[in-house]
Amino acid sequence: MTALRHHLGVAGVIAAKDLRAELRGRQAVTSTLFLAAVTMLIFGFALGPDQERLAAAGPGLLWLAVILSGMAALGRLHHLETEDGAFELLGLYPISRTGIYLGKALGGLAAMLALGVLVLPLTVILFAVDLATAGPALALVIVLGAVGFAAVGTLYAGLTVRLRAREVLLPLLLLPVVAPLLLASVSATAVLLAGDPFAELMGWLQLLMGYDLAMLLAGGLTYGLALEE
Amino acid sequence: MSPTTIHVRPTGVPDQATPGIETRDLARLFRRSPALAGVSVRVEAGRAVAVLGANGAGKTTLLRILATALRPSFGSAAVDGIDVAERPEEIRPRVALLPHATGLYDDLTAEENLAFAAALLRIPAPDRAARVRVALERVGLVTEGDARVGRFSAGMRRRLALGRILLGHPRLVLLDEPYAALDAEGLALVDELLDEWRAVGTTVLVATHAAERLAPRMDGWMRLDNGLLAEVGGAGVTGRIAAPATAGHEPAAGAQPAGARL
Repeated sequence: MTALRHHLGVAGVIAAKDLRAELRGRQAVTSTLFLAAVTMLIFGFALGPDQERLAAAGPGLLWLAVILSGMAALGRLHHLETEDGAFELLGLYPISRTGIYLGKALGGLAAMLALGVLVLPLTVILFAVDLATAGPALALVIVLGAVGFAAVGTLYAGLTVRLRAREVLLPLLLLPVVAPLLLASVSATAVLLAGDPFAELMGWLQLLMGYDLAMLLAGGLTYGLALEE
Repeated sequence: MSPTTIHVRPTGVPDQATPGIETRDLARLFRRSPALAGVSVRVEAGRAVAVLGANGAGKTTLLRILATALRPSFGSAAVDGIDVAERPEEIRPRVALLPHATGLYDDLTAEENLAFAAALLRIPAPDRAARVRVALERVGLVTEGDARVGRFSAGMRRRLALGRILLGHPRLVLLDEPYAALDAEGLALVDELLDEWRAVGTTVLVATHAAERLAPRMDGWMRLDNGLLAEVGGAGVTGRIAAPATAGHEPAAGAQPAGARL
């Protein structure tokens, strides 16, 4: 219990620092929001005016935009730590590695959710998606998808942050691992927008929750390796 | 010529049962190239020791290993008898490092940077604000407490990084080029802090090229050359000398590290 409180205390301090720095510098979300918006606009124009076609592509493109910009945001959040050697110093404090991981993941999650909130209206406008049928269940899918992506993305961003080729390696390593998450998130979103006629939603939600738990556990146990040289 | 052991008799301070720092055949490779190539050295607890040597001699690598930022490739290193590779979590509360890079966050203010460090140093919440204030005053940045660090000069960043060390009570302080980028006031601040740490018995290791300035404040010194221990001198430092050119050299007991000679 004491250990859990320590992990969470450390996580809170680190996440608060990341959020404060992000609110001041606006480097992770602002720079990546543009990427998300451009991705959606390009696909919107490419698919043409056919409403049915646009609505069918909406869930996939929503997650494509969130994942692409989220990957850039997570990389950016870690890159900020290395600009003046802060990442190495973070590993020298008498605190748990798990706490550091959870803190960075929480900061990443906040950036992902901010991106989700900003990208969602674009999806409604560009792809003629009706959110009224989805309601709070869609919010749950977005949160679960963002948690999973922040969990695994934080781990890989940490492992690659000190490498010169990190901008190439991060997507190369991360995208295959997030494939099940993407599949479940896109499918759950599509099912929700279609009104869940075959009651498939629960299966996808279970997959998302299992993925999130597995990745949080893996990250908590192995993130310390990223801090060692 | 075979490696020679030099024993330097300490002045004033008795030998400690547990050395502050002890390395045995300590080596660290970077892509098969050795930054440290088998350094065996012992520094008594409570001593202030200069680590000298040319660029690339291994000074920073030695400090980073002792701070647990790097794992040794071979050999061992211990602080207060605790192995840094085997029990790093016990080392971290005892050690403070001032690295080359200051490790500060540009988008946070000076005060927020220190408050963040204070929280991670597990200083109780009610005491944090006061400790941060005292540290800012001590390094002469109290009027800049609300300013973002991104606007600071290199010297101000250095002073703030020194302030971070003052938040805790480390038993071992590791300083990597502490005089770098500092103005006259900042240089005097480092001198004062070194005197204070010595006075309270904190073990201090300073990697520097500014040997002449540092000399009066050090008990002893060691010189690294291409990852090997080339010389030791003064009080509180003993080691196995590996450089043939310097083997057999034994400084006078109690000799202070003379800047001109270093």
